[in-house]
Amino acid sequence: MSMVRRIDWSFFALLAFVVVFFVFMLAPILVVVIVSFTSAGFIAFPVPGWSTKWFAHIFQYKPFVDALIVSIEIAIGATILAGLLGVPACLFLARSRSRWAGAVMTFLLSPLSMPMIVIGFASLFFLSFLGFGVSFAALLITHTVVCLPYLVRTVAGVYAGLPRSYEESASILGAGPLRVFWHVTLPLIRPGIMAGSLFSFLTSFDNLPISYFFGSASTNTLPVVMLSYMENQFDPTIAALSTLQMALAVVGLIVVDRIYGIDKMTVAA
Amino acid sequence: MKRPALLVLPAALFLLAFFVIPLIDNGMRSFEDGDGGLTLSRYVQLMTDRFYLRVIGETVLLSAGVTVISALIGYPVAYFLVRKAGKWSGFVIFLLIAPLMTSIIMRTFGWQVLFARKGLVNNLLIDQLGLITRPLRVLNTPELVIAALVHVLVPFMVLSISSVLQGVDRRLEESAQMLGAGPFRTFWEVTFPLTLDGIGTGAILVFMIANGSFVTLILLGGGLQTLPLLIYQQFNTTRDFGMASAMSTILLVIAVFCLWLQLRLVRRRGA
Repeated sequence: MSMVRRIDWSFFALLAFVVVFFVFMLAPILVVVIVSFTSAGFIAFPVPGWSTKWFAHIFQYKPFVDALIVSIEIAIGATILAGLLGVPACLFLARSRSRWAGAVMTFLLSPLSMPMIVIGFASLFFLSFLGFGVSFAALLITHTVVCLPYLVRTVAGVYAGLPRSYEESASILGAGPLRVFWHVTLPLIRPGIMAGSLFSFLTSFDNLPISYFFGSASTNTLPVVMLSYMENQFDPTIAALSTLQMALAVVGLIVVDRIYGIDKMTVAA
Repeated sequence: MKRPALLVLPAALFLLAFFVIPLIDNGMRSFEDGDGGLTLSRYVQLMTDRFYLRVIGETVLLSAGVTVISALIGYPVAYFLVRKAGKWSGFVIFLLIAPLMTSIIMRTFGWQVLFARKGLVNNLLIDQLGLITRPLRVLNTPELVIAALVHVLVPFMVLSISSVLQGVDRRLEESAQMLGAGPFRTFWEVTFPLTLDGIGTGAILVFMIANGSFVTLILLGGGLQTLPLLIYQQFNTTRDFGMASAMSTILLVIAVFCLWLQLRLVRRRGA
């Protein structure tokens, strides 16, 4: 009996620890969501009343709107470029067992492991030297560098988990390589492409250390504008914008999950 | 069906052109003396100057501290997730991943809201509970920077540990218990050593990301001076690009070393 009770106590201690842990994890997020609905013009507790005016305020502040458009364009552009570069590479790498292919895979994933601030700083100088300078194209190229690993990792993970037999049958039945890819392989790896694109989009959209270096009136992304706004004032607009961004990320995740099942893919990867 | 290796060429060339060459170019800039010659003076300065040594030390110490704390906090959570959560494990994973969907700015802002002078914590402690009379000063302390970094990085630690813990053969633990070891001894001498690889993988990942982080440091300050923060300042105010390049190269060397460790660990586990 005493044995059983001791195990129970350690279980409750562990449970209490985990509960405290998740309070720590969720508190700073929930508090932002709460503040985004305040009616006050400042941040203070208790919240005096509720309002959605800060969400409207986002769209009245022109730098936010401009930056939002730039961010969406860059995130979509970088994701498409990363897909065009990454998917073909996965088709070869996920099926090859050679050491050489392993090394190339590591290379394609390596931007994930390098400090973003260094990538941003180095790219700024190099792309200026090439004549891109601080431009939309320069921002797009550098974002593609850090988006590529997300697509490669997810697509290669899904593709490596698929049996070869479908493609082989199609090929034996006379389909050329392009037809096999378009009619057999692509539909099979589409869940990986969608999930990888979502991660890639979110990574680009949330990136600050790279975008910071390419900041100008026409290339400022949303996080850059939010950072400079936060350095000057402390009002609920940032909370509203963050809440909106989180809501969109969650919706994106749910949509991709409903259509393709993200949990299955993370197991495969 | 065999596919040509040529398919990797576009991606590999793209990274070579816009990732590798810029980093090499950046490294070379740190050796240029401005008159077309080469110099090591920046590295000598970084390695001997009191100020820079402190910055490098603080960068490494901060990352190491965040890594250790993440492991200490993350291990029990991973253990709970794999061994105790049962049918709740999906929910626990959701709670763990949900914060990863929020922007770094949102989370940093959250800490400011919690600990501002009129923030939630001071309101609770002073007005609601009457526990203290003066507002707590938590903003702009190194402790809050560490807490905020742990908040960002601990999910990676939990996921690394739990993926290894999941693979531990339960029969080994059962044998230890049958041979008379109590639950704690079984944990320390059987389970824990088997999960060291998970802690290692998580630690490298956390250290690597902490080492390059700077948004948290800019906004929560704390008087900490780290390499990323100094690069940002050099770029912004001092405009000493050669020095910023040298500092980026040092950060890069640390990152490459971490990557190398990571690959070794993965290979060992694969073997």
